[in-house]
Amino acid sequence: MSEMKKIKNLKEFSTSADRFEGANLLCPGCAHSIIVREILNATNDPMILSASTGCLEVCTAVYPYTSWDASWIHIGFENSSTAIAGAEAMYKALKRKERLPKSCEGKSPKFVAFGGDGATFDIGFQWISGCFERGHDMMYVCLDNEVYANTGGQRSSATPIGASTTTSPAGRVSYGEKMNKKDIVQIMAAHGSPYVAQVAPNKWKDMVKKIQKGFATEGPVFINAMSACTTEWKFAPDDTIAVSDLAVDSLVFPLYEIENGTKLTITYRPKNKIPVRDYLGAQGRFKHLFKPEYEYLIDEWQKRVDDYWEYLQRREEAGV
Amino acid sequence: MKYLGWDELLPGAILFSFDEEMEKDASEVLPENRPYAETNSYKAYVGDWRVLKPVYNRDLCIDCQFCWIYCPDVSIISRDKKMIGVDYDHCKGCGICVEVCPTNPKSLLMFEEQVDNDKALAEWPEKE
Ligand SMILES: Cc1ncc(C[n+]2csc(CCOP(=O)(O)OP(=O)(O)O)c2C)c(N)n1
Ligand code: SF4
Ligand code: SF4
Ligand code: SF4
Ligand SMILES: [Mg+2]
Repeated sequence: MSEMKKIKNLKEFSTSADRFEGANLLCPGCAHSIIVREILNATNDPMILSASTGCLEVCTAVYPYTSWDASWIHIGFENSSTAIAGAEAMYKALKRKERLPKSCEGKSPKFVAFGGDGATFDIGFQWISGCFERGHDMMYVCLDNEVYANTGGQRSSATPIGASTTTSPAGRVSYGEKMNKKDIVQIMAAHGSPYVAQVAPNKWKDMVKKIQKGFATEGPVFINAMSACTTEWKFAPDDTIAVSDLAVDSLVFPLYEIENGTKLTITYRPKNKIPVRDYLGAQGRFKHLFKPEYEYLIDEWQKRVDDYWEYLQRREEAGV
Repeated sequence: MKYLGWDELLPGAILFSFDEEMEKDASEVLPENRPYAETNSYKAYVGDWRVLKPVYNRDLCIDCQFCWIYCPDVSIISRDKKMIGVDYDHCKGCGICVEVCPTNPKSLLMFEEQVDNDKALAEWPEKE
């Protein structure tokens, strides 16, 4: 096992040599790349990475360019998980046969798969589930922007109630998405995964701590990373961090972790809890909810968020 | 270098990040010491995406590194725990660095792309 990278504070963190490059084609202000930078900079070990089709993959491998300074596999929409699981299995086999290249000596490479919420909650779900059942030593990171962003903003099973998307448009007869968001964190914890966590890049310290904990964990680790999307959530590109702050401080995206399938710990408690209304009001995708006929939905939102927070706290207290 | 057309690429094609193998992992080599390949997007330019550009005022900066961590485009250059400038080849002008800068007045501000940086610095606002 190689040593964990020491990251006491942001100044120390800023001495990292990024392995992710600019001049990729992600939108200005895209949170996907903030998340990727925090994860890659959390370790100095060699990395073996993959991305499922979606904004991250498409925008960081625009022929003839790559934006990755580590081994990175461009694969299908549904199988970034199994591509990494295969690489990890091969690594283990070579290690057993003592056929690893010299460059691997004394290192413990990190195997990380990235996927959007479309790839994770919907289309790649059974592949991920299989990887977690088999117990590969890998990390799966979902870049959760709650929409199929790369193909123009269709709803996914991560899209929350009331969001207007191109396939759940709000208008005279509809308030937008009608289905509640799938609880992917609990679903992955139910696989018995040793470590599952929800993170947000604006809370970089909490996030990097969880990523390092995930790297130190043997077995399949699942990370759900909130990724505020300037284009589909409809806010100005310089507001990515401000909107992310609203998301965690309103508890719409609570930050917590679950160890060994059951032990739940809340890792961030906002000092000033803000109303969900403020989070919704900062984004164009929820604009219609502020019309008189749909305002009741904002109250329902608040109640859902409060109830879930209550549930998390009770589970934490009970240690189950 | 000759680029193959997309329909001439073979499945399983590899794009190299560096021209030669490095002795160390890239995580231990700063960009200025890396043998970047022409196929690394580090060699590409997106500066023409900008309408506004961030201008950096060293005199006010407290080196908190908020701009470094939250820049999506690896365009805040920090060395030895000090912020030293903006990489205008890769900065897309999103403005996040300005929003997260905590000093008063800010140490980073957005200006029209065509404005000269020295002129921008001369026009810097006073403390609010
Ligand atoms: C099997 C398959 N179905 C559909 C597509 C088309 N497609 C490419 S990217 C994408 C959306 C990706 O959404 P998500 O996973 O949420 O990632 P995001 O772009 O939002 O980061 C879709 C539908 C595909 N490439 N492969
Ligand atoms: S559409 Fe959203 S997720 Fe995709 S590149 Fe743009 S900001 Fe990022
Ligand atoms: S404007 Fe955006 S891309 Fe440019 S340096 Fe600031 S945060 Fe980075
Ligand atoms: S955020 Fe502002 S004060 Fe902090 S390092 Fe960047 S420019 Fe300096
Ligand atoms: Mg998505």
